[in-house]
Amino acid sequence: MIEVENVRKRYRRRWVLDGLSFRAEKGRITCLIGLNGAGKSTALKAMMGLTPYQEGSIRLEGMALDKRSYERISFVPDHLPMPSAMKLGEGLQFMADFYASWNASRARELMHFFDLNEGERVGNLSKGTAAKYNLVLGLAPDTDYVLMDEPLSGIDVFSRETVASVFSSEWLEGRGVLLTTHEIAEMEHLIDHAVLLKGGRTVRSFDCERVRDEEGKSVLDLMREVLLA
Amino acid sequence: MGTSDGWTEIVFNGRDPVYLQVIRHFKERIATGRLLPGQTIPSRREAAAALKINPNTAQRAYKEMEEQRLIVTEGNSPSRITQDAEVLRSIRSELVGSAVGALIAAIRNLDVPVEELLAHVRREYEASRASKETGTEEEAP
Amino acid sequence: MIRYGKLVHMEVRRFRYFLLGMMGLTLVVQVAALIWKTTGEVHRLRAGGAPVPFFGFDKLTFTWAVFNTQAMFALPILVSAAGLALYVFLIWYRDWLGRGTFAYRLLMLPTARRNLYLAKLTAILLFVFSLLAFQLLALPIEQGIFNLIVPAEMRMDSYFTDIIQANQAFSLLLPLSGAQFLYQYGLGVICILVAFTAVLLERSFRFWGIGYAVIYATACIAAFVVPLLTLGFDRDDAYLYPKEIFGILTAVIMVVAAASIGLGFRLLSRKITV
Repeated sequence: MIEVENVRKRYRRRWVLDGLSFRAEKGRITCLIGLNGAGKSTALKAMMGLTPYQEGSIRLEGMALDKRSYERISFVPDHLPMPSAMKLGEGLQFMADFYASWNASRARELMHFFDLNEGERVGNLSKGTAAKYNLVLGLAPDTDYVLMDEPLSGIDVFSRETVASVFSSEWLEGRGVLLTTHEIAEMEHLIDHAVLLKGGRTVRSFDCERVRDEEGKSVLDLMREVLLA
Repeated sequence: MGTSDGWTEIVFNGRDPVYLQVIRHFKERIATGRLLPGQTIPSRREAAAALKINPNTAQRAYKEMEEQRLIVTEGNSPSRITQDAEVLRSIRSELVGSAVGALIAAIRNLDVPVEELLAHVRREYEASRASKETGTEEEAP
Repeated sequence: MIRYGKLVHMEVRRFRYFLLGMMGLTLVVQVAALIWKTTGEVHRLRAGGAPVPFFGFDKLTFTWAVFNTQAMFALPILVSAAGLALYVFLIWYRDWLGRGTFAYRLLMLPTARRNLYLAKLTAILLFVFSLLAFQLLALPIEQGIFNLIVPAEMRMDSYFTDIIQANQAFSLLLPLSGAQFLYQYGLGVICILVAFTAVLLERSFRFWGIGYAVIYATACIAAFVVPLLTLGFDRDDAYLYPKEIFGILTAVIMVVAAASIGLGFRLLSRKITV
């Protein structure tokens, strides 16, 4: 379990994270939902040690995060963080060189599934293809958790279908998934748990099926209720 | 299992629990004969992938269907549709019952006499059947 | 340790075309200048022109050629030096700016972040010394070309030290005394450390970081320059012996280096932001 507790982060005299708390559990898909500027991306970056925060704590299975955590949590940012001159095959080699958790056979499977060509250069990829390659880099290692920032945004409809199908696939089996989105419609039936963010704070955290069962409300209903209030 | 199989036709609504909608989908397919008694069905994971839902939800739907004796799973072999005639009969009446229930709930406030309602239902039902038939004829010249 | 090595390898790979470009430029410009100057002189002498004595000798030497192509020999060296100085900053900024912000990936590597710092530092030093080595390698090649152009009866052999001293850029880059070499390149390394820390201050605190970076760099320069000027290194009547002043300056440099490395590591592990 990854526990985020009361995290506060100030940037330019504004608390971009202002008491953020939630949990991401193994074997479940958790989704951070919020309007633009609610602090979703910042939350993921703070969890990955890519930006400092002033208060609160982030723990992985009860322990503070350190460099070894990168073997257990992988992060797929909202863009492909690889040099444009790099070939896709070189990128895979780079990952294999640095990560003990890298699973080369899964990487091959994913490259095949997404129909990616190792000889292609990162700089020449279309947005949809870059998003797919980004997923390969995030899903191929044997990490317990995968964090994804807006995995479906800004890519064409066919790439979106392929990417969405990953969530029901065996590649995520047993792993904890934490993703962000500001556009819930496509993800609504995929997620187990939703965390609604507003102003850098958790305003509501709920189990999607339970809310449908007990309150007869969709995630979108609750978003309207809570975020527009 | 291709897309033509009908697995991806399902359109979920956001307000009913997804696992219940999945079960309903299975019941409809059984009632209409597209799933036959004793037929093997996809694994949980395959179903999740085909329906584009969370594997945990598929898991829950399958578990619920096992409890309702809609499907049977023996050991490690794939799940099958039940051959229990009792259960199969009840599916059909349950689906019809819930549709009729929804209809009645919707028109309860109109105070329509039951004969008038039945006449309406008969007319609409026959019209929709007729249009369905001509529809298929037009498609195949 | 292995990962540090791999990071160095990656940094070198990413710069290899620029490095080869600089080497190519150096060779092409220097050889062109050499050929142009030498053939001109040989033609003039053949046409009956009077030899111009060079350090009392009438015959042509490679030292003479280097001495008379000052600007063209120094130009590619200056360009390379300027390029490398710029790359001290770019080696960081290229990971943040640009389409794929590679900094995300680098900071998420399961290795101590100081390895990123050390790898970039090592890479810069490797570039500097490989360019230097290339220049040293280029000189005998150029001398060979000189010997091909100038007929044996017109020329005389040169000493390596004379060649180095013939061009101001060479004598600056390749101090012939070991102590001078160490001191000069040591200072260079510390300048890189200060620049790295300034970049990391900016990358950590962004807008305000620019201010912190300027203050930090100014403080480092002042820490070195102020004692240099006030203690009277160049005066006979100074209170301290030159050796003592030298010791103080060395101590100051060590402190600046340690502070830069310490602050740099700390920023990279605690404060850096993508």
